[in-house]
Amino acid sequence: MDSLKEDLKKQIIEQLNLEDLTVADIADDALLFNDQGLGLDSIDALELIVLLEKYHGIQLTNPEEGKEAFKSIDTMAAYIRKRKAA
Amino acid sequence: MNKPALYLSAASTISHQPTFRNPGFSVGLGPVEASSALISPDYKAYIEAGLLRRMSKILRMSVACAKDCMEQAGIAQPDAIVVGTGLGCLQDTEKFLNTSLTVEGLLPPTSFIQSTHNTMAGQISLSLGNHGYNMTHTQNTLSFEHALLDAAMLLREGDRNVLVGAADEHIDILEDIARQLAFEANAPLTSAASFFVLSAENQGNASAGLADVYTSGGTEYGQEDIDAFLDRNGLQAGDVDLALYAGTPVQGAARNVDYLPLAGVYPTASAFALHYALDVFATNSEVRNVLICNGLRKSNLGLTLLKAFEA
Repeated sequence: MDSLKEDLKKQIIEQLNLEDLTVADIADDALLFNDQGLGLDSIDALELIVLLEKYHGIQLTNPEEGKEAFKSIDTMAAYIRKRKAA
Repeated sequence: MNKPALYLSAASTISHQPTFRNPGFSVGLGPVEASSALISPDYKAYIEAGLLRRMSKILRMSVACAKDCMEQAGIAQPDAIVVGTGLGCLQDTEKFLNTSLTVEGLLPPTSFIQSTHNTMAGQISLSLGNHGYNMTHTQNTLSFEHALLDAAMLLREGDRNVLVGAADEHIDILEDIARQLAFEANAPLTSAASFFVLSAENQGNASAGLADVYTSGGTEYGQEDIDAFLDRNGLQAGDVDLALYAGTPVQGAARNVDYLPLAGVYPTASAFALHYALDVFATNSEVRNVLICNGLRKSNLGLTLLKAFEA
């Protein structure tokens, strides 16, 4: 089990107050901003930017990067690893 | 006011006591325990899940009470929404400020947006789809009385139904602040929201009416202020069947009840007292006049006079 992805799911649930969801309910490849996935909206996108800095020390300033990074848990984890390796 | 009483058509309170959708709660109500918690209803019955997850305690309480009032009064839309709050949305304010200490970049938008005092009135308006007058009064311990005065003036000017209420929420740091300020109270600090529908006409569901409201701030008050208020309403202290007070009992009233041990301490606890009084009217037909004497803060006096309507 990828602990970064598990941590991300816990952090998203807490930061966005997704009270009805558990870590097990969020698939690694589920689309975060799609109604078939988590159905997040634009305010949630801003909360995810805060989450990245709060928990991972990463500042995301380029909106285009965010669009790619916030597609799913898989892409978020990949983005965090890429930024930390740089 | 010397004008006809206004009708209280609905009342709803979420508190540390079993007040929500519980007519008759005033009978045998005991003091709130220090270890008590907010008694919350299933908010999903009142608030859409997508909105609910972003709402703090004070917003959930306020929107649920507001919707419950609309249902009780049998009206789709109030002409105005007026809210009183002493300390506003503390939970979101605390979250926003705490994040600002640790995060250098973008700050959390939700807690920022919802940290302002007028968020309750705004969220109620959004939840009801209401486009009418929307106002929030924050006047420390007199916030609710000022909201009542505003609502009463709107009704005198032609509005038919005004949704008026008050809410305040407890966060842990209040305990530390109270300790550091050596604040002493005879009850624990609590959270609560109370909302009412104040109407110009009786829709058949009002057992009591709002006869008069008075506020005085900045100077210590005495019994003479209370006597003058009663006098302008054609009453004497002996005509008051029940005085609900915070601070000093009302001399001469037939019965005095300190409402702080029942409600807990929060700046708008007099709104709890108003719902308590309405419940007393509904359960005891011998009670004709109730005076709420809000002296929670020694330099502020809020007086609210309620009268029973003939059946």
